[in-house]
Amino acid sequence: MALRPIAPLPASARRKLVLQREVSRLLSPLAIPLIGITLRWVLGYRIENLRDIRREYRRICLEQDGPLMICANHLTMIDSFVIAWALGSPWWYFRHFRTLPWNVPERSIFAATRYLRAAIYVLKCLPVERGGNRAEVTEVLTQLADAVSNHEVALIFPEAGRSRSGRVDVAAAGTGVGRVYKAVPNCRVICVYLRGEGQETYSGVPRRGERFRGSVSVVEPKTDHTGIRGSRDIAQQILARLAEMERSYFDARQ
Amino acid sequence: MDQTEIFEKVVKILTPYVKNQKALEGVSLATHILDDLKVNSARLVDVVLEFEDAFDIEIDDDDVDKVETVGNAVELIEAKIG
Repeated sequence: MALRPIAPLPASARRKLVLQREVSRLLSPLAIPLIGITLRWVLGYRIENLRDIRREYRRICLEQDGPLMICANHLTMIDSFVIAWALGSPWWYFRHFRTLPWNVPERSIFAATRYLRAAIYVLKCLPVERGGNRAEVTEVLTQLADAVSNHEVALIFPEAGRSRSGRVDVAAAGTGVGRVYKAVPNCRVICVYLRGEGQETYSGVPRRGERFRGSVSVVEPKTDHTGIRGSRDIAQQILARLAEMERSYFDARQ
Repeated sequence: MDQTEIFEKVVKILTPYVKNQKALEGVSLATHILDDLKVNSARLVDVVLEFEDAFDIEIDDDDVDKVETVGNAVELIEAKIG
């Protein structure tokens, strides 16, 4: 597979990224438990196999100190937060802050007010406008690739948006995941499939009291294609794995 | 292949993805693919892959970022065809 060196992040952009990470690290003893409390006690969410998911994520992170990227199915606007909560306890994230994933929320929703902007800044978010200015999207992808190459974890959804059919759609693969993956040699991809019992299709926020089940699996996509076709191929391989995990989820539910 | 032929082929490829069919009537090199033609940004990659097949070229990830208007697509394809 043709790998490309990471496009160098301009010094100013790297300084901003490092500053954000350190501010986030400093405030994480407040912010991370707050997210957990909101999801568990305010929204009443429960993850049935939380311990299994966390154990597997810990194992993968500690197995080898290489670059990691998380790719997940995408049903709601708050998936990133639910997934981060599912993967690690506050204590785990304090001790292994690099494993708290960077993520890329939609700017029009999560950066609409200055309070929201401040909150997502602290939660390692790099907001982006879907379908917006391509140069800006590329800048965010470069930041993610830089973070991943420095052994921080990033969460990117391989579908270009929430699953409109409510199921993983391999044909809806975007190219962002593939671009980051190609830019970071030896990157492993952690596929995370998480779904609530009441999640029949995509929505804004899961219903109150939702009970989720999830699974985690590692994939290392390979492609002989280059350019945008290669990026698409990588995203489709990741989505194919997520589709398998989805089948297992529904088989287990029957 | 001259610019006009490329333009016509590009518009033909874009047509099934266009949500604002009215904008197709006055399509020109300056027409914005996402804003004017209302092509879904998530489908832009399908469009670019069709350009690759139709013109037998290979398009880099970075090149896609430069494609905002029909004219950008035509210029990119012209450059790739050589």
